[in-house]
Amino acid sequence: MIRIVRFFQIAFCMQFILTALPVSAVDFTAAEKRKILRHGPWPLPATPDPSNRVSGNPAAVAFGRVLFFDTRLSTSGSVSCATCHRPDAGWTDGRARSRGQRAVDRNALSLFNLRFNRWFGWDGAQDSLWAQNLRPLLDRREMGIGAAGAARLVRADRSLSCHYRLVFGTAPGADDDRVFVDLGKALAAFLETLVTGRTPFDDFRDALAGNDAAGRARYPAAAKRGLRLFVGRGNCAFCHFGPAFTNGEFADAGVPHFAGPGRADPGRFGGIRKLRKSPYTLLGRFNDDPTRSTAVKTRHVRLAHSNFGEFRVPGLRNAALTGPYMHAGSLKTLADTIRHYSTLDEERLHAGGERILRRLDLSGREQADLVAFLDTLTEAESGPKVEVKSEDLFCR
Amino acid sequence: MISRRRFLATSAAATLLPSAARALGAPMPIFDAHIHFSHDAAERHSVGEAVAILERAGLKRALVSSSGDAGTRALYAAAPDLVLPSLRPYRRRGEIGRWVDDPSVVDFLEDRLKRFRWVAVGEFHLFARQTDKAVPRRMIELARRHNLLLHAHSDTGAVDGIFDQWPEARVLWAHAGFDGPDIVGPMLEKHANLWTDLAFRSEHAHGGRVDDGWRSLFAAFPDRVMVGTDTFTPERWHHVVEHAAWTREWLRDLPPDLAEKIAWRNGEAMIRPHLAQLR
Repeated sequence: MIRIVRFFQIAFCMQFILTALPVSAVDFTAAEKRKILRHGPWPLPATPDPSNRVSGNPAAVAFGRVLFFDTRLSTSGSVSCATCHRPDAGWTDGRARSRGQRAVDRNALSLFNLRFNRWFGWDGAQDSLWAQNLRPLLDRREMGIGAAGAARLVRADRSLSCHYRLVFGTAPGADDDRVFVDLGKALAAFLETLVTGRTPFDDFRDALAGNDAAGRARYPAAAKRGLRLFVGRGNCAFCHFGPAFTNGEFADAGVPHFAGPGRADPGRFGGIRKLRKSPYTLLGRFNDDPTRSTAVKTRHVRLAHSNFGEFRVPGLRNAALTGPYMHAGSLKTLADTIRHYSTLDEERLHAGGERILRRLDLSGREQADLVAFLDTLTEAESGPKVEVKSEDLFCR
Repeated sequence: MISRRRFLATSAAATLLPSAARALGAPMPIFDAHIHFSHDAAERHSVGEAVAILERAGLKRALVSSSGDAGTRALYAAAPDLVLPSLRPYRRRGEIGRWVDDPSVVDFLEDRLKRFRWVAVGEFHLFARQTDKAVPRRMIELARRHNLLLHAHSDTGAVDGIFDQWPEARVLWAHAGFDGPDIVGPMLEKHANLWTDLAFRSEHAHGGRVDDGWRSLFAAFPDRVMVGTDTFTPERWHHVVEHAAWTREWLRDLPPDLAEKIAWRNGEAMIRPHLAQLR
């Protein structure tokens, strides 16, 4: 009997040691805890976009969903938004550089959590989600139908025209640009719904906030070690900040940015240039925000030579589903991306001013831990959530 | 269609009389004080392509230094009237942070100084805590012996340190030390042989308007400031033309005489005493 009791005592102790050791190895300091808590709570409150009068309108969401899958919005009639932003592929296409009607220079960004962005696209050439939706329609390499072509299609097509009327309360008018922008706004209403769900990290973060020991213990030890690196020595959280894991800005991550022979992708520098020339910005006549407070960022954005070669700091929620990574898809996996920062060529970064990025020289285990952490930013249930539903066909 | 005669007249005017050339609509010539053609850039661009970019940007002169140095020599050989060769103490770009402790850098410099002719040494990265180290000391000594300009990416302490070692040195302070006019002004006041380039800087002008603080600095030291692109990665060669256009845009916000000085005259005046080294 004593032997049996002792056996259970030893077994209990062994189990305690085995489970407690990895956890105690990554007990977070008060400073680390503060940093971790900044990455939540999630989801963020969803407020309508004041620059888009149909933001949050269910009829606009339905119209946007129809437009998203409509190949007639390309000049060839074979490419839709969903060609490069596949719902079954993390709203991207798995290619390094995407291909619409022709190949483009950049990787298709995922569409997750766009509603929280300040700037749009790898170069931030658009200052609203509705303006971003117009870009591929104008680019001949992508869909290229243009403002007049898109407006003509909507006017001529009974179903699209019906949707338009339901959403905007009037038939599509003679002003091509107005109709065109309204399509961007309907698409934006749909894309605003693509918000990622809760993740194992969110459960851990909330357990940390609520002092829930059992909830904290459920989070894998490797992810905890990766999280410590993320907010600590790796300094990843400096740019991948806040609940969406992005500061919403642009950075030179030391990634080569030749777009092809004799061509460099100027990144944010070119983006600001395009923004200033575009008629579809928040400074223009299509901004529905009467206060124009939404346009402050656009009015004050400044062009700097350091912007040349800077690209969007993407959010990291569901990152595991959206490879390859970087603006031209040069890094295939999350492990490759971590390795890039671990072996960073600092000479590619300018030596002047405040240097944020440093070569991390992570061990193999540390790199694996960071990947384990990033994996916990994947929503518990992911995959295609969007289909063209029968109610979308009311206007047929 | 521009006639051949008019083209020749405009070109001649641009070469000989920049003010007259501007009056004819030619772009303001620019002395770009901060160009690199390092080994990785030379792998991406032929010498012909690189020279064509400099010409397309409307550069009158370019102070060129390169990690690996072969790029500088190749550009100078191809365009001796355009390129001013500067000897950089780096064989590869990765030596930026290590060169001050690497005695073999001295051998490299001595060898290159024996074999080729230069107007400057730099751009090198040197900070206050490093100026007394043996390798930078020897580099400054070599520059003194060969009467070369020093192109220093440095903080104020290192600039002071260079002048401590060689009071007659002529120093081009890269990026104006990434300092503001409140720091740059007193430094220019303190050191009569200090010039500064604005490479990789943008805060002195926005939307074609010159910032008030910088405008005051330019007015107070009209002969001491110049511009530069800084092609520190191969991709930045595709920014040279854009940078020159941006520069001309904000220079238009200054009095024409001051604009011309910053655009090219200051660079020409700074480099003139060193041109004899090329003969």
